[in-house]
This record gives sequence, C-alpha cells and structure tokens, in this order.
Amino acid sequence: MSDTPVKSIMPKWVRGPQDFVGGIALMAIAVFALWASSDLQGMHGFSFGAGTAPRMFAVLLLGLGLAVMVVGLVSEGPHLATYAWRGPLFVSLSILSFAVTIRPLGLVLSAFASFIISALGTPETRWKETIIVGICLTIGCSLLFPYALGLPLQLFPRFLVQ
Amino acid sequence: MADLFSNLALGFGVAFSPINLLLCLIGALVGTLVGVLPGIGTIATVAMLLPITFGLPPVGALIMLAGIYYGAQYGGSTTSILVNIPGEATSVVTTLDGFQMAKQGRAGPALAIAAIGSFFAGCVSTVLIAVLGAPLTKLALAFGPAEYFSLMVLGLIFATVLAKGSVLKAIAMIVFGLLLSMVGSDIETGASRMAFNIPELADGLGFATVAMGVFGFAEIIRNLDAGAEMDRDLVQQKITGLMPTRKDLIDSAPAIVRGTILGSILGILPGGGAVIASFAAYTFEKKIARDPSRFGRGAIEGVAAPESANNAAAQTSFIPLLTLGIPPNAVMALMVGAMTIHGIVPGPQVMQKQPDLVWGMIASMWIGNLMLIIINLPLVGIWVRLLRVPYRLMFPSIVIFCAIGIYSINNAPVDVILAGAFGLLGYWLIKHDFEPAPLLLGMVLGPLMEENLRRALLISRGDWTVFLTRPLSAVLMAIAASLLVLAVLPSLRKKRDEVFVESET
Repeated sequence: MSDTPVKSIMPKWVRGPQDFVGGIALMAIAVFALWASSDLQGMHGFSFGAGTAPRMFAVLLLGLGLAVMVVGLVSEGPHLATYAWRGPLFVSLSILSFAVTIRPLGLVLSAFASFIISALGTPETRWKETIIVGICLTIGCSLLFPYALGLPLQLFPRFLVQ
Repeated sequence: MADLFSNLALGFGVAFSPINLLLCLIGALVGTLVGVLPGIGTIATVAMLLPITFGLPPVGALIMLAGIYYGAQYGGSTTSILVNIPGEATSVVTTLDGFQMAKQGRAGPALAIAAIGSFFAGCVSTVLIAVLGAPLTKLALAFGPAEYFSLMVLGLIFATVLAKGSVLKAIAMIVFGLLLSMVGSDIETGASRMAFNIPELADGLGFATVAMGVFGFAEIIRNLDAGAEMDRDLVQQKITGLMPTRKDLIDSAPAIVRGTILGSILGILPGGGAVIASFAAYTFEKKIARDPSRFGRGAIEGVAAPESANNAAAQTSFIPLLTLGIPPNAVMALMVGAMTIHGIVPGPQVMQKQPDLVWGMIASMWIGNLMLIIINLPLVGIWVRLLRVPYRLMFPSIVIFCAIGIYSINNAPVDVILAGAFGLLGYWLIKHDFEPAPLLLGMVLGPLMEENLRRALLISRGDWTVFLTRPLSAVLMAIAASLLVLAVLPSLRKKRDEVFVESET
C-alpha cells in the first residue's frame, strides 16, 4: 500500500494526483475482478449465470474508476498524502502474528505477543507501562473469553497441554 | 382494537414475571458489557452469548436474547461513538457524527442521546407493531423482486448523500462494496466466485471482518501517523458535560421523532430494512437541516435520528420475521437459529399457535429498551472515561480485542488476516479521500440486490423495463433519481466555492 508514488514524480498535467491515482487503483481492482470472474458462467437465456453480476459490477467500477481518474486529471485537487510506515507495519505484523500463533500457541502467548508488537507501532510507547498493561490485558482476556463467555479458545501452547 | 389491548396485556403479563424481568436485565447488561468492547460488534456479541440461553425455557430464552440483542446493539453504538468502530451495519452512520462529537469532547451527550432516542423509538414501535402488524405485513407482501431491487437502489443512493466529499467517489465506493459482496458461493448455482480456492472465502467476506478492517484497524493505523497526535489529544482533554444540555434535547427531539417514523416504516420491509432506515434517517435530517454542512462535523441530530431509526426498524423488523419467517439481518438470522433450537419455527403459524411467545417477546423488547436506559445512563460517565486512557495503551488493546473478536466468530485465523488486509485497504482509502461507509453498505446490500435483480428479470423474461413499469418500483426509482440529482447539484455548485477558498489561502 505504501508504494504509491510521491508527488514529485507526478507529471505536471495531473492536476489532482490524489483522485488520479485513486481512480487508476479502482480500475486496477475492477480489471482484477474481471479476470478473477472470467471463468464463471455468463447469461444463459433470461437467467443470470454465476459470473453475470460480478462482471456487471466490475465493469461499472471500471467506468467509475475512469471517471474519478479523469476528474483527477482535469480539476485541481489535493496532492498525494504521505504515508507513515511505522504504524501500518507493526499493526499489520501484530494482526498477522495473532492469526498465525492463536492456533498453535494459545491465547495467552499470542495475545501478549501481539500487544507488544503493535505497541512498537508508535515511538510514544513507554515499555515498563506497556508490559504491565499487556500482562493485565492478557490475564483479563484469558478470563473473559474462554471462561466468562465460554468460547472454545485454547489458552496455552498445544505442546504444553498435551 | 380490543384485540390489540388484550394481546399487549397478554404480552406484558408474560414478560413481567420476575424471572423474565431478571433474565431481560441480565441479558441487556451482559450484552452491553460485551458489545462495548471495541471490535466486538452486535453480531459477534449475540453469537458469543447465544449458548447461555440454551438451558432456559423458550419464552425466557427469547426474552433474554432480546435483552442481549438490545444491549449488544447499544454497546455497538457506544464503540461507534467512542472509537469509530461500528458494531454492525446499522450503526455505521452513527460513526459519522457520533465520533466527531466525541472528538469535540461531547461523547457524553452523544451516548445519552443515542440511549434516549432508542428508548423513544422502542416505545413507539412496540405500539406500532401491535396496531399495524397484520395490515403492514400485506404491504411487505406487495413487494415483488422488482420492488426490492428498486428499494435497494434507493438505499444505496441514500448512502451517496451521506458522503462528505464527492458524490462520484461515493458511488465508486458503493460499487466496490457490491463487487466485494460477490466473493463467495453463488446463491443459485453454488459456483465459487473470486474465492481463489481459499475455503474461508467460500462463504463470502464477513461483514464483521470488513467493518473491523476498514473502520477499526484503518482508524488505528491512521491515528498512528505522525501529526495525528493533535487530533487524539483533543479527544482526551476536552470533555464537556456528560448529559445532554437543554439545547441538545430540543435540537434532537424532532430528529428522534422523524427517525422513529422512518425507521418503523422501513423496518417492516424484509431485507436490509434496518440498514436502509438508519441511512435514510440521516440523509433526511441532512436534507432538511438549515445548515447541512454541520453534518459529519458533530451534529447531534446526526446521532439522534439514525439511532432512533435503527432501533425502531429493529423492532418492526420482527414483523417480517414473525409473519413471513424472513430474517431481516444477520442478528435476526441468529435469533431464528436460536428459536429453531427451542423448537419454534418462525412464520405465520407462530402468531396463531403461540401468541404468548410472540406477544411476550414484543413486550420484552420494550422492557429491554427500558433496561438499557436504566443501565446505560449512569454508565455513560464510565464509557467516556475510557477515552482518557492514553492512546499508546489504548490502541494495542483495541487491536487485541478486534483480533479475538474476529477470530471467535468462525474460529478462523484467515478471517483475522483478511481484516488486517482490509485495514490496510481502509488506510489507503482514507489517504485518497474515499469514504468507507458507502462501501460497507454496498457490501451488505449486494447479495440481496443480485438475488432480486435475477428474480425480477427472470419473471419479466429478461425485460429491463420492469423496474419502471411496475408502479411501486417506478416510484422508488423516481425518488432515487431525484435524490441523486439533489446530491449532485450542490456539489457542482460547491466545487466552484472550494476553488475560490483554495486560491485565497
């Protein structure tokens, strides 16, 4: 997501780079959807096939993306916003780590690890405080979800339980 | 008429037994407490709490479920207002002005108005159900596929009017949402569409997954941007008054009434009625307001109207559920599941065979609303104090709650990853001034739209003019078209003004 070109490489004739790039991205999504649904059956007689509606919406999105792009081309608009890397990176890593570890390692470890990883997302973090809150939150979650709400969540790593 | 009162009396007789009252209170309390965790919305809450009602007798279980439902819904509105994470589709609109109010230090009044509006709507629609239940069902039956399709179009057009920025980009977002809703199995042929052989995608993208991503995670990531600190500190420092002022009440009273009326009417239509109701109520308020530019910047009517409308609609949406057996939204579908477990099959026969159940439930919905206001007005202070937690500690906690919440819906790690991906997408959308609310509405209405479009065209033998030749459908289409024109006109005019503003600064 953060590989969007910075404003300096935008040619001068693009007057609203934000919409211009946004429109192109929408068109790319539409083309991707057209490709992804190309193997589905189309209309037969009066009735829709599985692929009719997806292709219909994709073509519509293609047109709208084109319109947004043209608007970005001809009318004055805001420049591309700058992207931060730290927040998106660590929050995504934290979510990913939770998804990967929840099954094998259980709630306690994966929740605490995700908490710490996502805390890396901002330079404001004070570690002592964060670790204490992380431990409290982990304990709270381990009591709340499996016990109070009765969700089938495993608390501890699989290899320890077995 | 006499019938009506005896019915209501029967209902309240059932619901007012001490045990049922207690069940309703516990349900509302637990529903609120779980629903208020950021990232765990109405659907997740009801799904999590469903098992605790299994051991109860049917009437008690349904009454407790109604309590849980209202509690969860209110909890969802609370997170919409405090942290900009809507718990379900109907509270997406609440984030628009509710979160802005919270940013201005007015989270307290926003929460209180949401509770008061919901309660008022609940009172009115309970009576409405009793009076109009049977005749209104006939109206719902007059709706064929063509009418439904037109209604969905109208609902989607409502969403464009919501957008603060360009109408064109809002429409693009709606279509993007429609496209996203196509992922998963095709309803008629069962063919897997755009699922890339990922088994978790076979069922389609979950609303909770996408909502948590584009609203929850994206909001967190954006808040972590350098320069966003100012915005956040603003939320924490200025908290002015917990209860709405007299002016707030006067401002929001007519909005609550209008929201209730719109919600009650639209809620009866099965299929997205409650969602469309909250969007419609917001749009309506914005259109008739003397100064529409206040909306999206913390107008209290923008919280009052949709919250009343969605509650009224949630209430009246029981009519199609009980009379036709069609669940109007995901939560109601869960309720049907719960009923079936207790051996009750919703449909026309329930009303005749088990009147105590139906009317008991209608009465308990009113009691559930009452419980909510009793529980929540004192709690407003506590919820608002949550905003004082420093953001560096709050955001990792929200990430964890969201992750656990999404995971627990299907026990699927892939859902968590998908939500993360939608978070990045949402961040990108924010950076390009695309609004996520229309996208979410498109996603919710997409499958219904496709189904009705297919049916309508099949019945008309491929004739596309059917949407304009059937009178009801034509009226809906005409309203949609005129709304669109109304939405586009001022934005054309405004664009000139904006250019002027920019050249001056």
